[in-house]
Amino acid sequence: MTLEYRWVGKPLARRDAYEKASGAAVYSSDLFPENALYVVAVRSGLPHARIKSIDVSEALKHHGVVAVYTHRDIPNNRYGVFVKDRPVLCDDRVRYVGDPVALVAAETREEAEEAAPLVRVDYEPLPAVTDPLKAMGEDSPRIHEGGNICRRTRITYGDVETSFSKADVVVENTYTTAAQIHAYLETEAGISYIDERGRITVVAGGQSPYRDREEICHTLGLPREKVRVITPHVGGAFGGKDEITVQIHLALVTLKTGRPARMVWSREESNIAGVKRHPSIVRMKTAASADGVLLANQTEIIFDTGAYASLGPAVLDVAIENCNGPYRIPNIDIKATLVYTNNMVASAFRGFGSPQVIFAIESQMDQLAERLGLDPLEIRLKNVVRKGDYGVFRNKLEGSVGIDKCLESLRNHPLWRRRGEYKGVQNHEWIRRGVGVAAAVKGYTLGALPDRGSVALELNADGGFTVRASSTEIGQGIIQSLTQLAADLLACSPEKVRVILADTGETPDTSVTSASRQLFLSGNALRIAAEKMLDLMRDVLAKATGDPKTSFRFSDGHAHTMKGEAIPYSAIHSMMAEGGVATYVEGVYEVPRTTPIPGSLEIPHLFYMYGATLALVEVNLLTGFVSVLRVVSAVDAGRVVNRQTFTGQVEGAVAQGIGYALMENPVIENGMMRTLNFSTYLIPSIKDVPEIEVVAVEDGEESGPFGAKGVGEIGIVSVAPAIANALYDAVGVRMLSIPMTPEKVYWLIKHRR
Amino acid sequence: MVSLYDIQVFTPRTLEEALELLDKMGGRTKIIAGGTDLIIQMRHGLAPRRDLINIYGLRELRYIREEHGMVRIGALTTFSEIAASEPIQKHVPFLAEAANTIGSIQIMNKATIGGNLVNASPAADSLPPLYVLDASVKIVGRKGERTVSIERFYKGYKKMDIAPDEILAEISFKIPDTDGRGLFFKHGLRLGDAISVVNGAVWMRRREGVIEDVKISLGAVAPTVVRARRSEEILKGAKPDDENLRQAARAVIHDISPIDDVRGSAGYRAEMAVNYVYMALKRLVMGR
Amino acid sequence: MSGVRVVGRYSFILNGRPTTVEAPPGYTLLETLRQILHLTGTKDGCSSGDCGACTVLLDGKAVHSCLTLISQVEGREVTTVEGLAGSKVVKSFAESGAVQCGYCTPGFVVAVEALLRANPNPSIEEVKEALRGNLCRCTGYVKILDAVKMAISD
Ligand code: FES
Ligand code: FES
Repeated sequence: MTLEYRWVGKPLARRDAYEKASGAAVYSSDLFPENALYVVAVRSGLPHARIKSIDVSEALKHHGVVAVYTHRDIPNNRYGVFVKDRPVLCDDRVRYVGDPVALVAAETREEAEEAAPLVRVDYEPLPAVTDPLKAMGEDSPRIHEGGNICRRTRITYGDVETSFSKADVVVENTYTTAAQIHAYLETEAGISYIDERGRITVVAGGQSPYRDREEICHTLGLPREKVRVITPHVGGAFGGKDEITVQIHLALVTLKTGRPARMVWSREESNIAGVKRHPSIVRMKTAASADGVLLANQTEIIFDTGAYASLGPAVLDVAIENCNGPYRIPNIDIKATLVYTNNMVASAFRGFGSPQVIFAIESQMDQLAERLGLDPLEIRLKNVVRKGDYGVFRNKLEGSVGIDKCLESLRNHPLWRRRGEYKGVQNHEWIRRGVGVAAAVKGYTLGALPDRGSVALELNADGGFTVRASSTEIGQGIIQSLTQLAADLLACSPEKVRVILADTGETPDTSVTSASRQLFLSGNALRIAAEKMLDLMRDVLAKATGDPKTSFRFSDGHAHTMKGEAIPYSAIHSMMAEGGVATYVEGVYEVPRTTPIPGSLEIPHLFYMYGATLALVEVNLLTGFVSVLRVVSAVDAGRVVNRQTFTGQVEGAVAQGIGYALMENPVIENGMMRTLNFSTYLIPSIKDVPEIEVVAVEDGEESGPFGAKGVGEIGIVSVAPAIANALYDAVGVRMLSIPMTPEKVYWLIKHRR
Repeated sequence: MVSLYDIQVFTPRTLEEALELLDKMGGRTKIIAGGTDLIIQMRHGLAPRRDLINIYGLRELRYIREEHGMVRIGALTTFSEIAASEPIQKHVPFLAEAANTIGSIQIMNKATIGGNLVNASPAADSLPPLYVLDASVKIVGRKGERTVSIERFYKGYKKMDIAPDEILAEISFKIPDTDGRGLFFKHGLRLGDAISVVNGAVWMRRREGVIEDVKISLGAVAPTVVRARRSEEILKGAKPDDENLRQAARAVIHDISPIDDVRGSAGYRAEMAVNYVYMALKRLVMGR
Repeated sequence: MSGVRVVGRYSFILNGRPTTVEAPPGYTLLETLRQILHLTGTKDGCSSGDCGACTVLLDGKAVHSCLTLISQVEGREVTTVEGLAGSKVVKSFAESGAVQCGYCTPGFVVAVEALLRANPNPSIEEVKEALRGNLCRCTGYVKILDAVKMAISD
């Protein structure tokens, strides 16, 4: 379909923005249904223990308590997307401090909170396994029946050992990265009730209403038609609401009592029971020739998934896929393990396994460059993949590959060209400055996993259109992007487009909102639906006017005939209504994919996003404090659908990357979370985020709708290594672990030889 | 997190009434001023849940006065008011700076200096400047009032010289010599608001190439804020050269006893106390 | 303390209108606004004074409603984001791309309103100081600064 873009690419203000800014937008946590029960989870508080007995009698006697539920109330007490290993309410044992053991439902929040400690659970404490390396040992206590290895794989191409022996330079290091807390401003929250058609309806902050419905149906033994899941505005998700949080608990209470229910996690509860980014250990050995050509990379990846697998198996896959960076490397050897521990559960978080391994490879690249006396940008440009190349998995890169353009744009940037001058500024003798660069890659779409989605389109009596999709608005601006796409596809103004999202009772299944590809998926499905819709309109017009079907042109909400007549869409709607023609079509799009290589779940992807980050930092030698003064983020974006949304996504990702790199330091001691709120778990404030310049490399992804690439994640991926490289440039110390807290940086500077 | 749905809150209209209420039920109640610390502590179960006497609205304890070479600050003066106060900015700009860092604007608008003092966190940012100013606090009860120096007021970790039926009413200090200069510093783990890992204040007066007088205080490195007396002794009468400043900074370890917590290890805290004092001295000497 | 709900009556000006509410005296203003009055524009991000999502104007000054007891509000004037509907700050946030998930936005809007009332022409540094206690996890703050600049120049 050839189209001129009237609305795509325009910086139109988001239509949900005014509602949100004025406080009128309704989130799950804003709902207070009449006569609702308040639900509180009783959590283990112990990292590992056997449950000997649960006594709810005291709690039941407490004023206002209506019911207390335990595992005995759950027909199928295990859920999970990849491995059904997670209990809705624990039965035989608890595996981390946040594990729920019982649910208290009371008339008021206070009563539920007071009754929760009255639930008597008799525990036999078990040794807590919190070190992933120890957990992998043969003699470690077992957390799950099948042992502590959740997933293990090895993928090898070529021969690394021979390359190492022949290489001019080999760099070898062990990198560690801490967990990261999503810290969305709205915690996990929702309500439930029985709708007018008798369905148990859950309204909750999530990313995948259809998948959440499946989990509710499976665990509670309900047929699909009996359950409805709605996702209203979500106060931030970033992957952390990609799995079940409150949904099953709420459905259970409404199922058992027939009453509406409400559950909102406190900030502390969210920090304990919400999922995290996987902490990692990455050992990497990288070889290059004297002229800087990469020869081999050997990687061992260990991801701590905590008590349950959650989306960990797929996260590990992404780590495997991207641990070689955006480079051509003929010989690779990757060993990867996902290990259970008694730590917090890790799952999806923006970047999905990529930031950990890119921190490693991009730190390696700078060390190789230094050893070889090469410029860090040149060594990268020398090795990056280009369109048509074969990737490390011998996969032909057919989609657009914009990493060379990203790096070139940074090479030409004044911050890089004149970095000597920037470094020269020094306000005190204890202050140093440095500039660092790092590249990023991440596959988008669900890779080799099947992924299809539907979007429904309806012509309304007023000549406007309604788009229905189960995509969720998690802040990324999907409503606005779909509106602008629909306006262009259907040749009408954006005001005429209504978008209804994320209600399994109202919208078709558009798969999950994750992996930065929701716009790609729903956009393509919308394109197909729009084609069907226009075809339908042509049929009706041909019948009414007698003109040939192909003779109509559409623009500005009108069909134009050969005779120069303009028929408004509202008139076409009337024609359809009179003729008994359905005004509703559905478009189904199946994301193209590849066959997975042996040992992987979904490697390789057909499409990759690329990016590169440039950072200027200032380091205080006497305190170890690192502040970021400037960031330039170059992103291979395909065609940008909404520029404001696009740059906003990248800026937000960079800020999360700065937090991840420098200050987000979850203190977890023996399985217990010590940083429970925003006063101890620090995320960047407005003073910690510098000027961020976003450079869009538009290299049209032909198969996307209007060439739109997913950009939700790529901006975070190379921030930490760019900062680590800048830190090295400033003071000559190589930080191998993140976060690079002042204390860690201080000791490293102090103890350097 | 618990809700305070079952407590009583009494709101006296005058200080007199407040003291009467305290007299009647001082032991069973707690005073709430701005409440920015107390509400969190009670809701998180860190302080016992008690009925409250709400003195937030008592205008008579909300003032900043300059008289007879003294500055007097009413206990219910907010940090926003202190930071913006002309006499404070003029005579003790480092106290204004400290007031500006005690928390967000929202906290500064609500938190009061008296509340901050009786909360007695050794990391409170308002305290180090008051220590170098040798400030005093006025404490009132039905039986009368008394004045205690700030160093005497704190007797140990969260231990204060104040009875349950007394109210801290005023903070006062002598306006320091105009030829001296003071400086406040704080080490937080981000540039935005953060609880101090170490904080402190230094006040110095030089004459004819030597340091004539100097006062150094440090917070978050001992059960109470402390004066670094050993360092002060080293500097008094000494030349402000790099060697002397370094030596004095290193000497702070004699007056501190830091501990580990989620924000940093004891070892790091000690190093930061030394280095921050060094940087502060250096900045005062260099005039930057 | 006794586990029995205590209730008081409090009168104050809410968004320009005299309002009386029955609430436990120990309830925070945030709890009162959201749970009793169902004015949910004011958000709860932490209930501990660390995020700024609950910011309201108390006698014209930005404060945390999560750290203010309803009994401290008696006789005073409270403005929530609902009372700023149609303001230029709301408009500039909506138009600058400063809103992503939007959960932090009402708190920012109120904090910016307080700033501009006191200082109609703040420098960027002053804006950052005024907003340093408002956390946003989505935007990276760049467009929030743009929004404030737009509101200033309007
Ligand atoms: S909810 Fe009040 S500051 Fe976070
Ligand atoms: S827009 Fe989501 S937290 Fe600010």
